Amino acid sequence: MSAFGNNEDTAIANTPYTQQRLVSESCMDLLLIEMVDTICRTTVVESEADSEAMFYKLDSLGYAVGQRMVERFTKDRPRFADTLDVVKFICKDLWSIMFKKQIDNLKTNHRGVYVLQDNSFRWFMRMSTDIGGADSAKKATPYIWFPCGIVRGALANLGVPSVVVAETSNLPQCTFQIKLAK
Amino acid sequence: MSNEINCIALIGKQNNPLYLKNFSNTHPDLKYHYIAHTSIDVIEERVASGPKNLDLYLGLLYAMEDLAVYGYMTNTRVKFVAVVSVTEGIIRDAEMKTIFKKIHSAYLSQICNPFYNLDSQQSIDSKAFSRAIEAIGANTNTKTTMDI
Repeated sequence: MSAFGNNEDTAIANTPYTQQRLVSESCMDLLLIEMVDTICRTTVVESEADSEAMFYKLDSLGYAVGQRMVERFTKDRPRFADTLDVVKFICKDLWSIMFKKQIDNLKTNHRGVYVLQDNSFRWFMRMSTDIGGADSAKKATPYIWFPCGIVRGALANLGVPSVVVAETSNLPQCTFQIKLAK
Repeated sequence: MSNEINCIALIGKQNNPLYLKNFSNTHPDLKYHYIAHTSIDVIEERVASGPKNLDLYLGLLYAMEDLAVYGYMTNTRVKFVAVVSVTEGIIRDAEMKTIFKKIHSAYLSQICNPFYNLDSQQSIDSKAFSRAIEAIGANTNTKTTMDI
């Protein structure tokens, strides 16, 4: 079962337990797959520039989700000390909530660029194509735009405006690059 | 005697007014808007000055005349202000913390509405949220008036 579902607080009604409503993980997977598919299918691509439109739509969806997730999951957490703390929260806590694992590798150049590497990205674990290799990486790229948006939304709501891009060279590994706005 | 919540105010992350609910009839709404506005400065001071103070609850911000103002800031820079009328009882931190936790829960339920734009700086205009805040106020006010 996926804990990606709701953590509904009925605190006002004075119930002692928070009821956790869970959603089946396969339903979540199917929804995400279909979401990317629908957006790619229904976005009119007339020129090369329009392929950005799909990225923008999925990224905006992720942005809204990221903002709300971070509001909910930092509720009981003490205040963040600095930007690195925020990025570490994303790598550890947010990734654990969404993908049940932490980011495998975090690199920074201490000048506002962070590189997050996930060696077995959960949403890629069951993806493959006949040709394999670079072809499957290329086909899987739209599925990584939604998590980009989630990371961007999470950072933005915690007071860190940024640009997030992601790339994958071979499934199931993927890399997210965060560039902080100056 | 009793301590009553006179007002609950929410201030957004760009210091825009999000919501204000006046429970008392001793002071007009405008006075509480003014109080919430001055609280912004005090909150920012408290947060900037104390790297050791990493708690979301900020405690008593300031007191004026017969009112005490308590503050709370979330990790996403949304500020909650509760104005309490000071009579003779002692206001415990634990009580104020539970009140702020309830406000935070109500706020969370409100922002999970996908049609609410978090970046828009508009004030919250939702019946469910208003009801939740009124319930918090009513709950605290009836509870305290019974502790004689």
